[in-house]
Amino acid sequence: MLQSFVHRVQQQNKWWFLMGALFVVIFFVVPIFRLVFLSFSSEGGLTFENYTSVLQDRSTWKTIENTLYVVVGSSIIAIILGIMTAWVVAYTNIRQKKLIQLFIFLPFIIPSYITTLAWTQFMSKNGFFAHLLSLLPGSLEPLNMYSLHGIIIVMGLSHYPLVYLLTVGVLRKIPRDLEYAARVSGASKWRSFKNITLPLALPGIASGGFLAFIASLDNFGIPAFLGIPGNIRVLSTYIYEQIVGLGPNSFERAATLSVILGFIALTGTFIQWLLLKKSKNNETAVEDKEPRFLFSKRKRLTIELLLWSFLLLTTMVPLISMLSASLIKAYGLPFAPENISLKNYQFVLLENQKAITSLKNSANLAIITTIFCLVIGTGIAYIRTKKPSILSKGLEMIIGIPYALPGTVLALAMIFAWMEPIPGWNPGIYGSIMILLIAYVTRFLILQVRGSITAFMQVDSSIEEAARVSGSNGFFKWKKVLLPLIIPGVISGALLVFLTALTELTVSSLLWSSGTETIGLVIFNFEQAGYSTYSTAFSCIVVLFILLAFFMLAILQKLWDRRVLHHDRTN
Amino acid sequence: MTAQIKNVGKSFGSFRALQQINLDINEGEFVAILGPSGCGKTTLLRLLAGFDSPTSGEVVMKNQVVADEMSFLPPEKRNIGMVFQSFALWPHMNVRDHIRFPLKHHQFLSEDLKKGMDFRVDEVLKMVDMYHLGERMPSELSGGQKQRVALARAIAPKPALLLMDEPLSSLDAELRMSMRKEIQQLHQLTGASIVYVTHDQSEALAMADKIVVMNKGKIEQVGTPKEIYSSPTSPFVASFVGKANLIQGKWEGNVFYPFHQQSIKWDGTAVTEELRRANLFPARPEQLEISFREAGIKGVITNVQYQGKEIHYTVTIKEEQWVIHQDLDDMFSIGEEVYIHLKESQTRTEKKQLHFV
Repeated sequence: MLQSFVHRVQQQNKWWFLMGALFVVIFFVVPIFRLVFLSFSSEGGLTFENYTSVLQDRSTWKTIENTLYVVVGSSIIAIILGIMTAWVVAYTNIRQKKLIQLFIFLPFIIPSYITTLAWTQFMSKNGFFAHLLSLLPGSLEPLNMYSLHGIIIVMGLSHYPLVYLLTVGVLRKIPRDLEYAARVSGASKWRSFKNITLPLALPGIASGGFLAFIASLDNFGIPAFLGIPGNIRVLSTYIYEQIVGLGPNSFERAATLSVILGFIALTGTFIQWLLLKKSKNNETAVEDKEPRFLFSKRKRLTIELLLWSFLLLTTMVPLISMLSASLIKAYGLPFAPENISLKNYQFVLLENQKAITSLKNSANLAIITTIFCLVIGTGIAYIRTKKPSILSKGLEMIIGIPYALPGTVLALAMIFAWMEPIPGWNPGIYGSIMILLIAYVTRFLILQVRGSITAFMQVDSSIEEAARVSGSNGFFKWKKVLLPLIIPGVISGALLVFLTALTELTVSSLLWSSGTETIGLVIFNFEQAGYSTYSTAFSCIVVLFILLAFFMLAILQKLWDRRVLHHDRTN
Repeated sequence: MTAQIKNVGKSFGSFRALQQINLDINEGEFVAILGPSGCGKTTLLRLLAGFDSPTSGEVVMKNQVVADEMSFLPPEKRNIGMVFQSFALWPHMNVRDHIRFPLKHHQFLSEDLKKGMDFRVDEVLKMVDMYHLGERMPSELSGGQKQRVALARAIAPKPALLLMDEPLSSLDAELRMSMRKEIQQLHQLTGASIVYVTHDQSEALAMADKIVVMNKGKIEQVGTPKEIYSSPTSPFVASFVGKANLIQGKWEGNVFYPFHQQSIKWDGTAVTEELRRANLFPARPEQLEISFREAGIKGVITNVQYQGKEIHYTVTIKEEQWVIHQDLDDMFSIGEEVYIHLKESQTRTEKKQLHFV
């Protein structure tokens, strides 16, 4: 009995291993390999020709210079804002921290190209900010968003939640006694923060900073919306223009630039991973959420007022400007009752065929991507948590690469890999919606893997072992024990995949073809063609949907807590 | 025989967690595996459960090989029950569901139990005195109650072998004492074979029929609690279980000369051959006596800890420190020069006991 059972299991394991390896190689390894290969190839065979010609081009260097400004500038903004908000939320006694956190996450939840649209409306010549300035003495003009500093500001504001997220956890995990010990030893508040808290939090902060750096390199929406009209190129938009422009050698040039950009991004990711690992070394197990700095009522109110005006000014006000722009009959008219109508909404939802198709396409893509990721990603997460080995660690790393790579780079790799999967054979994947689906699944799988890993980590291994000694390892262990406990975490991972796929722009902008337009692409096209009223209306619908989805998730999780986990009866 | 471990070894990479383990677990026997943390006791338990497989050797249950170096049966295919250190209660199931779960899924359930599932749930709940709390969720239970549910879940399907992984270590001291009694009662009531892993020597001494002392992945000694306590066969067992002072000296027959001093003779009839060969005399704290009578070993009191019913002294002799427990009749204070003797009466009673063994 023992022998036959073991034989069967080993046979099954072999099969699974082979299938998994094949899956990873075809979808993750081959595309990147092909991209690198193309960057080194020319008609004459393997050469460095592409690199020398790209690097001798003056516009390449101008692009790299712009990229440097944008990435460094926006990362600095993100780091400063991230640390400040994290410190206030982690350590002080301000009220409504949960709500504040929600607002901090808002720019993270809403796609960056929509945030950009909102900012352009907010800062436009007849927008809200211009009105505000006209009330002040002097002839102040609103900021021109179609410029380098416009890109830097929007990017910094979009990425500071990343720094916040990593820093707030690190700050809470630094034992308060360490700072108290410094105070007892005679150090002032500021000195103990500077000499004790800050050095301990530094790896976490630096890791968040690098995350912002990678996100800035990767970002396509912001420089595409703000930079392309003003002829300001960064690497991600430069690659896009190479491919779309279809010049001579454009694919080789794009591949070469992609390898350079991809290499920088992966190096950044690696450093970020090292820093994160380091920051986990000196932390205690639990987050200490009690405030450490108790401000007087007056001081607290001042801080709260400052924080809230910042949050509202950077999130709600631009969104409201966008909403008001979308409600105006024709672009340029002032916001007045007689100019308000729902005709833009009517146009994008009922009349424009491209917009309607894009809604269908994005919904289909998002749903199918989510289902694929949910099943495969949760499976991988299970293997990763229950059987940690070099193999499963490597698997997680490889699956993470398409997400760590800038979207333009991944899209290009996808084109090379799927145009002719076997040289000489074109199955028509590129040019159909299939290429988008494959790209989405490979890019977003890691999001589900991470979400599900977090969910599994919260279930102690003995919980599963108890089910096994009770005689159950298959269906019932999952149905009765594991699934009820992991579902909330798994579902939030799935929602993240769903929304990211639904509003995706970067990859779609390179992989779309007529009939496979996505929501992001249609908004991009409207904006490029100057139809701001349509793009804002479409964006408002997307934002509304996103907020609704999160609201539903919150309600679902509450219900689940109450019905399944019975947490409300605890106290 | 319920289970047998034959020549089992287990390595994790280059680390050898278990070496050459041989152990028999008899029908209805309560076996305690005792050792410090990292000695391999939990690894051994996980091999018995089937969560891990041995690198060498065999595990046999009811005359069937369940694991060898090639292959092993997973836990759900073994006739076992298990109590976990963290209780491992399922947060979304009530007490009754916890006990019903193994009754539904355990693969060695007798026909009687299959028919009378609800009756068995009630019976087990009454056994652990949780009948009135059957509808409660784990989050609504105290530590002791959680422990009872974990026990009930493990015994419900009447497994041939019950495994317990430090089940009392997450309870407070007082609750630990009362749960000891309950586990003993359950053992008598169910007649199950139990393998109980612990690092607490008093738990093992109090409950087990047989104690297996482990250290650094090897078995040091197997025996009844009494054998382990009064006749340790290795310096480790003597100091870990009996907290004995290991005194160096010379053996001549049954006579021991501590520190090779010819003037002092200790009667060492009860000391095992193994320790004699190592030129050691294991003197437990209560076997020694402090007084001002000369003709003992000279030392200086360096620490005094008042315990209520007795006093724990630390006496420094030359470079060594001995711990001695003594009643409150004579009190000594730090810095006093004293003499140490082996208690006569204790050695005699132990001599007698040894003849019976």
